[in-house]
Amino acid sequence: MANYIIRRLLLVPVLLIGVTLIIFGMLQLLGPVERSALYVTDFPKNEKQIEGVIKKYGLDDPFFVQYWRWLTGVKDPLTGEREGGILFGDFGYSRTASQDVIDIIKTRFPNTLDLALWTIFPMISVGIWLGVKAAVNQNKFIDQIARVYSIVGTSLPVFVFGLLLLMLLYANNQWFLPGKMSDWVSRLIYSGEFKQYTHLLSVDALLNLRFDIFWDAMRHMIMPIITLSYINWATFLRVTRSSMLETLRMDYVTTARSKGLEERDVINKHARPNAMLPVVTMMGSSIVGLLGGVVITETVFNYPGIGKAAADAASQLDAVTILGLAIFTGLILIISNLVVDVLYAFIDPRVRLS
Amino acid sequence: MTNRLLDVKGLETHFNTPEGIVHAVNGVSFTLDEGETLGIVGESGCGKSVTMLSCLRLVPMPPGKIVAGQANYKDRDLLAISEDEIRKVRGAHIGMIFQDPMTSLNPVMTIGKQLTEPLILHLGLTEKQARNRSIELLGIVGIPRASDRLKDYPHQYSGGMRQRVMIAMALACMPDILIADEPTTALDVTIQAQIVELVIQLREELGMSIVWITHDLGVVASIANRVAVMYAGFIIEEAPVKKLYAGPSHPYTVGLLNSLPQIQVQEKKRLYSINGMPPTLYKIPHACPFAPRCPWVIERCWSENPLLFPIGDSHKVACWVDIKTGRER
Ligand SMILES: Nc1ncnc2c1ncn2[C@@H]1O[C@H](COP(=O)(O)OP(=O)(O)O)[C@@H](O)[C@H]1O
Ligand SMILES: [Mg+2]
Repeated sequence: MANYIIRRLLLVPVLLIGVTLIIFGMLQLLGPVERSALYVTDFPKNEKQIEGVIKKYGLDDPFFVQYWRWLTGVKDPLTGEREGGILFGDFGYSRTASQDVIDIIKTRFPNTLDLALWTIFPMISVGIWLGVKAAVNQNKFIDQIARVYSIVGTSLPVFVFGLLLLMLLYANNQWFLPGKMSDWVSRLIYSGEFKQYTHLLSVDALLNLRFDIFWDAMRHMIMPIITLSYINWATFLRVTRSSMLETLRMDYVTTARSKGLEERDVINKHARPNAMLPVVTMMGSSIVGLLGGVVITETVFNYPGIGKAAADAASQLDAVTILGLAIFTGLILIISNLVVDVLYAFIDPRVRLS
Repeated sequence: MTNRLLDVKGLETHFNTPEGIVHAVNGVSFTLDEGETLGIVGESGCGKSVTMLSCLRLVPMPPGKIVAGQANYKDRDLLAISEDEIRKVRGAHIGMIFQDPMTSLNPVMTIGKQLTEPLILHLGLTEKQARNRSIELLGIVGIPRASDRLKDYPHQYSGGMRQRVMIAMALACMPDILIADEPTTALDVTIQAQIVELVIQLREELGMSIVWITHDLGVVASIANRVAVMYAGFIIEEAPVKKLYAGPSHPYTVGLLNSLPQIQVQEKKRLYSINGMPPTLYKIPHACPFAPRCPWVIERCWSENPLLFPIGDSHKVACWVDIKTGRER
């Protein structure tokens, strides 16, 4: 097991290089002149200035020189201070948000995490539970319902569903609200009276024993949580169901029955653990999706997470910010994959002991 | 008189498939006495597995359905008792091993856990007792260093070793009957012989009855007392093993015996391999299902399906033709 984890860990730097190369390479598809626009603020742009920028930032240097500079930054020859360099956590400065990209991540990511936290658990448990139920009762009523739901769930777009929720739960009666928190909560946070242990609002509220704030956080998160759960349930349900159906046909399930086990034990102890293998793989990509920012959902509900930040940056052509957020998402992807691999090995001895 | 353990009567099992209803088992009757080994022989797809799975109600339902028959184990009809009752029969009184040892053990559960399950369930042993008993059982089926190997997973065992584990598991609770569904088919020839040897040895020590399913008449000769030959969901010949080899009376049995490489055909009689494929029955046939492939076929075979009837002491056959004379019986 340790061996396996170490091998996976050694892969991480390789993956990092790959991710950064791809993301940086995509930006290089633009020519030096086009990229210089990121630095030139005057309008109309004059040719001299553009040339100057290209020279100053070395935008026409060979690809790997630029890539290296982007990774490690540039040292000022006089002060010795480093500028830029994503390896050192400098993701650049976002003009549209008027702050460092890393600060955008620092303020926005906890919100995305807060949302993900309350979505992941119900998403996984209910989705899997429904999938197993449907498979065990194949072609019966609950299975038919589940199948209809999994089709509707995967085909009804998030923005339609989200708008429906907004209409029903917000526009008509304001039971639940878009945004992140009410004004009185944000004033309280600014005043410094509210201790932010984790920067996840709902968790901090519980830690401060401020249930009024917790309720306020939930009122703002319920609609995105429902939206995210509803799509992800459909996916989990579908994958669990088909994996479970396949597993139930396996010989070892018949063996388990032939030993006289109760059907409940046959399903819970023999079939389900095997059926979970593809589900765990999918769980990884779902979690990456949730953590990397759910752009549409956060935008529909005006929820200030990473996804909303990316959407804002994209709509204002803020390439530096998008690049930084893309790298961050890539990092999450790599870490989640690592976790999934370890989890997978934990469930499947054939992986663990090979 | 010996004790009758299993008495199956008129068993019929169907499968509901998109192509129609598959008549997999069509009124099969047989018996199994204490200490006896019955061989069930036939080409693949003829309903051997479904017959025995039906007796324990292990056919997947749906698509499967047992539509008629009885399977009396001692004095209880296994097809009529409650789900709870039959669970107490499975594994405790009737054990079963399967064709492919690579797939019949749970890949994510240790051998030890799988082996102790029936012991804890049926015999009420504690974890520790069950563990000790498992070590004994693995030793009995010839797995070296048994106590170290309990925590291993199936993929760490070879195919032959896995089948030994399956045997240990099926016999863990000392059942009266062992159903072995082509347990050697997926194994190398040398390993096959070892497994047959092991089962014979265990039968001597434990005295259980065996139903040995195979498509290989050669294997059955070395282990069975009596043989039932199946074709298209029917038993078409049944006889003590010596009688069957000395005087096969159904054209299909003759074909099966002739296709055995090691058996020399003494007389210069027709040597043939069976042409064509066994049918999948979507309807109950009004002709003998073997007729299209039968070299002895006569008029009557096309209009009436022969039932199994006795032609001698404990020898039954389902054929209109006396193949010695080539004429209708
Ligand atoms: N789960 C199933 N669904 C549909 N048909 C089945 C199923 N299991 C078995 N059958 C059909 O039943 C017939 C007998 O199968 P089986 O008893 O497995 O044959 P064998 O003699 O090789 O053991 C075959 O025609 C097969 O197609
Ligand atoms: Mg079979």
